[in-house]
Amino acid sequence: MPVSSPRHRVLPAAALCLLLVSCATPPGEPRAGASTTRGAAEVPERDRVLHAYRDGAKALRAGRYDAAKARLDEAIARIGGIIANDADAARARGLFSAEGSKIFIGEPYERVMAYYYRGILYWRDGEADNARACFRSGSFIDAGTAEEKYDADYVLLDYLEGLATAKLQGDGSAALARARAHAGEKRPLPDYNTAANVLFFAEYGHGPRKYAAGSYGEQLRFHVEDSPSRSARLILDDGRKVVPLPAYDDLGYQAVTRGIRVMDHILGNKAVFKAGVDAASDVALAGAVIASDEARRRERRGRDSDDAGAAALGLGVIGVIGKVVSAATRPEADTRQWGNLPQRLSFAALRLPPGAHSGRLEFLDRQGQVLTARTRTVSFEVAESDRDTVVILSELTR
Amino acid sequence: MTTVNSRLLLAVSAAGGLFLAGCATTEGVKNPSGVPVTEMRPDERGFVAGTGIESQDLVTVTDRMARSILGIPQIARAQTPPSVVLEPVVNNTRFPINKDIFLTRLRTQLNSKAAGQVSFLDREMMRTLQRERELKRSGQVTASSDPNAVEFGGADYFLTGKLEGMSTRTSAGTSDYILYSFRLTDARTSRIVWEDVAEIKKQGLEDAAYR
Repeated sequence: MPVSSPRHRVLPAAALCLLLVSCATPPGEPRAGASTTRGAAEVPERDRVLHAYRDGAKALRAGRYDAAKARLDEAIARIGGIIANDADAARARGLFSAEGSKIFIGEPYERVMAYYYRGILYWRDGEADNARACFRSGSFIDAGTAEEKYDADYVLLDYLEGLATAKLQGDGSAALARARAHAGEKRPLPDYNTAANVLFFAEYGHGPRKYAAGSYGEQLRFHVEDSPSRSARLILDDGRKVVPLPAYDDLGYQAVTRGIRVMDHILGNKAVFKAGVDAASDVALAGAVIASDEARRRERRGRDSDDAGAAALGLGVIGVIGKVVSAATRPEADTRQWGNLPQRLSFAALRLPPGAHSGRLEFLDRQGQVLTARTRTVSFEVAESDRDTVVILSELTR
Repeated sequence: MTTVNSRLLLAVSAAGGLFLAGCATTEGVKNPSGVPVTEMRPDERGFVAGTGIESQDLVTVTDRMARSILGIPQIARAQTPPSVVLEPVVNNTRFPINKDIFLTRLRTQLNSKAAGQVSFLDREMMRTLQRERELKRSGQVTASSDPNAVEFGGADYFLTGKLEGMSTRTSAGTSDYILYSFRLTDARTSRIVWEDVAEIKKQGLEDAAYR
């Protein structure tokens, strides 16, 4: 009966290993900033909130307010709950699934923006108390940072909460004080003007981008490309009225000041496991090769090679299994992101007579010089009703 | 040797085939066929839950308030059914809500449980009603009664509510306490003739994958 060498046994095992490794690769994840034109039916459940975020922001900027409300409500219905005992989340914590397999709700700065935008739309509908609720929820989401000084430190969320309270005949002074404490002396906040009937919400620059760092992509990091638009101003009535729109909040800053997530520890453990198993597999496979050579040498000398052959096979199998397990371990951080967020947020409130108004929106650089290429015309209609007119001024087009 | 190689090749192919077949199935996929729609009672806590204001809270609170209002002497022993105007609920929590839904359910509960004991004035329709009256007065449309008579009802009471909240977030989880208060104010004297509260506290901790 023909005898097979250990090498002949190891090779098919390696082929099987390659096959298994290819099978362990998960299906492709949506790329950051991917098109949102796909129909809702095609969006995987785990990415539904992500698409709702993007579509909501896009609709808001395009003035399709009902669509924006619908999409943001869809997202908030998901992110407003407590996700517990969830199989997808459990799988994402497991060794063999990437974090991206969980249902996306976004990092805190992304969830905050869903509430911020929805708050703006509630205000536009004359529901200042629901707008306030959204700003409070935003602040609540931003609470619980690793470092206390970054805890719920959005300037505008507190400022707008207080303004809504003041407009509802309440006392917004506590919220105003919090906002001023966050803003510091460099960004002075005006007193509340409850007689103001036009609210300007401005945003400029591009928001933070997520990327995965570390040997296995297990570390979630943020890249913030500082926009040249450092502040803005609205010129009305042929230059007679200038409305400053300084940057009160910076989403890049908010993204990088959250501190370590619990999930980062889990991903770190996954990476350690992957590296450990990979190293052990290398040792086992090297041992298999050495044992295989020894078995061949013994065979050539006509000596008994069974023990060396068995050792080569055993180590080979262990090495292959280890490689499979290592390859199947998925420590990658989830880099799905709300790609059409702005970097900077601003706000101003003004009393204007009812009727049509027009002007221009200018963006200024670090030195306060107008970035002329970015200047755009603005027109809006101030309603006669008691309801505040909300004007959304975005440098982002989509 | 060739026989052994052939056997090994066959075994590897079989194992690979089996594995690929396993990859192609929905094995391990949660609810591959979906979950059929489950009808639930609105006062039942569903499997989709948060610490905010949910349908079961709405039902609990409005049921309680309706029972409480009907027990007060101003309603129970009134000679003629008092006219009540509903004022919008003020939301002072961190949860955006559909504010009308509280008063709508409260009104429907009161109407169904004590038909005739209370009458509600539809102030939401005021603009439409005024326009209709003007049309009647100008003779543009017919009128079954004197259109110049003042027949719009005045309120005996105003019913309104307020939702107050208190939220806490620590590494141990999220906790939300909400106080639902409703009151009935005499339109003539401004006295609060009835007030009741319901309080609900919820807490939970998110999966570590989201922390």
